[in-house]
Amino acid sequence: MLDFFTIFSKGGLVLWCFQGVRGPVATAPVNALIRSVLLQERGGNNSFNHEALTLKYKLDNQFELVFVVGFQKILTLTYVDKLIDDVHKEFRDKYRNEFQQKGTLGLLNGTFDFKEDFMRLLRDAEESSKARAPTVMKTFEQSQKSQKTVKCMIETRGEKPKEKVKNKKNKGSKKEGMEAVTAASKASTGDRQPSAAGDREELTKDEILQKNREEFFKRHMKAGEKSRSPKPEAQKEKGKKPRVWDLGNSNAKVLDYSNSATNGSVEACPVEEFDPDLALGGRNREPGRLYDLEYESDEEIEEKVIQNPSKPSAKKGGLGGMFGMLKGLVGSKSLTREDMDPILEKMKDHLIAKNVAAEIAVQLCESVAKKLEGRVMGTFTTVTSTVKQALQEALVQILQPQRRVDVLRDVMDAQRHRRPYVVTFCGVNGVGKSTNLAKISFWLIENGFSVLIAACDTFRAGAVEQLRTHTRRLNALHPPESHGGRTMVQLYEKGYGKDAAGIAMEAISYARNQGFDVVLVDTAGRMQDNAPLMTALAKLIAVNAPDLVLFVGEALVGNEAVDQLVKFNKALADHSMAQTPRLIDGIVLTKFDTIDDKVGAAISMTYITSKPIVFVGTGQTYCDLRSLNAKAVVAALMKA
Amino acid sequence: MAGSSEPQPEALRPAMAAPALLSVLLALLAVAVTILLWRLVQGRRSRRRAVLLLGLCDAGKTLLFARLLTGRYRDTQTSITESSALYRVSKDKSANVTLIDLPGHESLRLHFLERFKAAARAIVFVVDSVAFQREVKDVAEFLYQVLVDGTVLKNAPALLIACNKQDVTMAKSSKLIQQQLEKELNTLRVTRSAAPSSLDGSATGGPAQLGKKGKDFDFSQLPMKVEFVECSARGSKGEDGDADCEALEKWLAKIA
Repeated sequence: MLDFFTIFSKGGLVLWCFQGVRGPVATAPVNALIRSVLLQERGGNNSFNHEALTLKYKLDNQFELVFVVGFQKILTLTYVDKLIDDVHKEFRDKYRNEFQQKGTLGLLNGTFDFKEDFMRLLRDAEESSKARAPTVMKTFEQSQKSQKTVKCMIETRGEKPKEKVKNKKNKGSKKEGMEAVTAASKASTGDRQPSAAGDREELTKDEILQKNREEFFKRHMKAGEKSRSPKPEAQKEKGKKPRVWDLGNSNAKVLDYSNSATNGSVEACPVEEFDPDLALGGRNREPGRLYDLEYESDEEIEEKVIQNPSKPSAKKGGLGGMFGMLKGLVGSKSLTREDMDPILEKMKDHLIAKNVAAEIAVQLCESVAKKLEGRVMGTFTTVTSTVKQALQEALVQILQPQRRVDVLRDVMDAQRHRRPYVVTFCGVNGVGKSTNLAKISFWLIENGFSVLIAACDTFRAGAVEQLRTHTRRLNALHPPESHGGRTMVQLYEKGYGKDAAGIAMEAISYARNQGFDVVLVDTAGRMQDNAPLMTALAKLIAVNAPDLVLFVGEALVGNEAVDQLVKFNKALADHSMAQTPRLIDGIVLTKFDTIDDKVGAAISMTYITSKPIVFVGTGQTYCDLRSLNAKAVVAALMKA
Repeated sequence: MAGSSEPQPEALRPAMAAPALLSVLLALLAVAVTILLWRLVQGRRSRRRAVLLLGLCDAGKTLLFARLLTGRYRDTQTSITESSALYRVSKDKSANVTLIDLPGHESLRLHFLERFKAAARAIVFVVDSVAFQREVKDVAEFLYQVLVDGTVLKNAPALLIACNKQDVTMAKSSKLIQQQLEKELNTLRVTRSAAPSSLDGSATGGPAQLGKKGKDFDFSQLPMKVEFVECSARGSKGEDGDADCEALEKWLAKIA
């Protein structure tokens, strides 16, 4: 029933392969498994779905092997886990010598004749899953009911009014189970109520109600609650009485609180001291003019030294006095789950304290545990140092970009094809989209590309004016005279309230006509839960097909990052008509200067999307644009 | 008599003390020199005996590795860790190098390069000639990262660019690949040095400038020897036949 079973070394050599009947070639799904699960540190749960197949895998960290089994997704085979474990043990024991002594050449030259053993194990596993016979129903004689006598099942009304036992004889056999239970309980509790009560055949309904009520109130009295005076039942029969509220008798005066405060009464407000000069700023100002910010010239580039990258922790461990520790130091101890668990707990808490999203920290630690289980430690290494080293490598691996991150190269390409390179910025409210858009356009202008800024934020008050101010400043910094007479930055806007997707499309065609190199599209900030706005954003991206979709996220965000990115990606995927929908292509991490070393947001974002961080924003001036340095970020993250 | 023998040892003692001290010093010096020489010889002998196999994913590095070592065809998957083995260059010479096959996946390649670049005597950069047209930017970027690395520039290991998968008819020739790479690296020089600087202050492209300023980039401008060969790890006869990598083996014999 299996499609295939592969055993290969971590170095890439396939040691043994079993191809089930009518199964396709095994390499493509296994490669997909390796690239999406193992290399992205998602190794927490050991199964993976690829098209129509489910792949389950197991790592042997001692001899660096991987065992993968693939079967159709619609089948639910229960014996697969057990099969993998058995095969793992058998294979390892059979070829232990080759692995230990001959190393890589052994793997290359060795013939691994495993087919008979594998067929045997497969047969055993299949049989063990079929072994359980279907459960046979109990016969009547074996059931409990046949043990009871008929008498105890006869109900008499009024015996225990608390147990409102319905009239069973008329109900169907459905209730028989319940009756058996109540009958049993009745039989077991025995004679709490005097059986004299049972002699009374009939009680009137009212008297039953009365009895119930008395007991109810008695219970309440016992609990010490204030009991309302029970309205005697007799009154209830007389007719409805109007309800009496507690405060209903007081008049309106008591309810009028307006004298004690000045709510709503204008005269009673204390007069504030309002100093117009203080509010508007002390200097002379032309009414209505927007002053420029004072800022230093662009020649002084402020280098932010965030962290000196610290070297990874040295491998020297402490010398212990105990034999077990010495054995561990000498290097023949293999790591077990119990050894690693306390350390992983601590590392997980450390990561969460550094602002990594909680679920991602958990998944990361799981994946590292899977990678380290069974590995033999080297000499003079402690478990802590091994785990820390592995976690550090995993973090660096996550932060390495999976695809090329070179915006200038792609702009040059688009320039050659005589079309503008379109970049769209999206994100939630207030993360710094417009600010970073201005920084990126400054960087592009410095490199000689002309930029058109499309103001597709037609909602927020002042969005267009903000971009106009940036345009003016950038043009002041790079006047047309110094670039051969052409304007380097221009703003394309259509005011407020219009459709953003339409403005973007017009801006792109305008750029194509005028020969602009880059179009930067600024969109309005929106919450990820706001469905209509997410639809609008997805429409903008699907219709205009930008070259780069950048998600702008702030470094201060914590667990929210996961939710934001997942929902943004989902919205983009759902509303796109194409076969391969355009998702987020890159991340801009902003406000990086506000966090000291709590840089976990970078990890959360890249882990969720597996897309690279293209830019890092470290301030509000035009020069505060950086690219990500994975080692520095990981060093800051692992620092105690 | 006793008196005469007495002053003798006394006179002898200072006389003997000087040569004793001298001999002790000489002995120490000899030991130090031996240690120094030994360390030098050791270092020179064991340093840089490795040949690295680099390249993008699916370029054919692991298959090439298997072919060079055993001559047989092996199925391969994406590598997660490195594989290294001793390669005997030719039957009669006793020279041998350590062949190290590094993973090509984006998240791993730089990490493994960091680990093994100091030991590299030569680098074989494997290029998939069939998919080259599509991947030229990625190939060039990885090659650029290898070439501007400080350690690589300092040691200047011999570089061979092996254009693999020549058994497929659509494969590009090595001349074409060389021209395209030179053009692409020329552009990359500009764009990578203009990229925003890194978080801790160092520039991403490295302070090194590839080739000569002002002139178009050429592989002859590099400090190391660069050669291009064509090879096919799978071999023209398929899985049972031999691989077509004599040029590669000859080159390995030359640099060993």
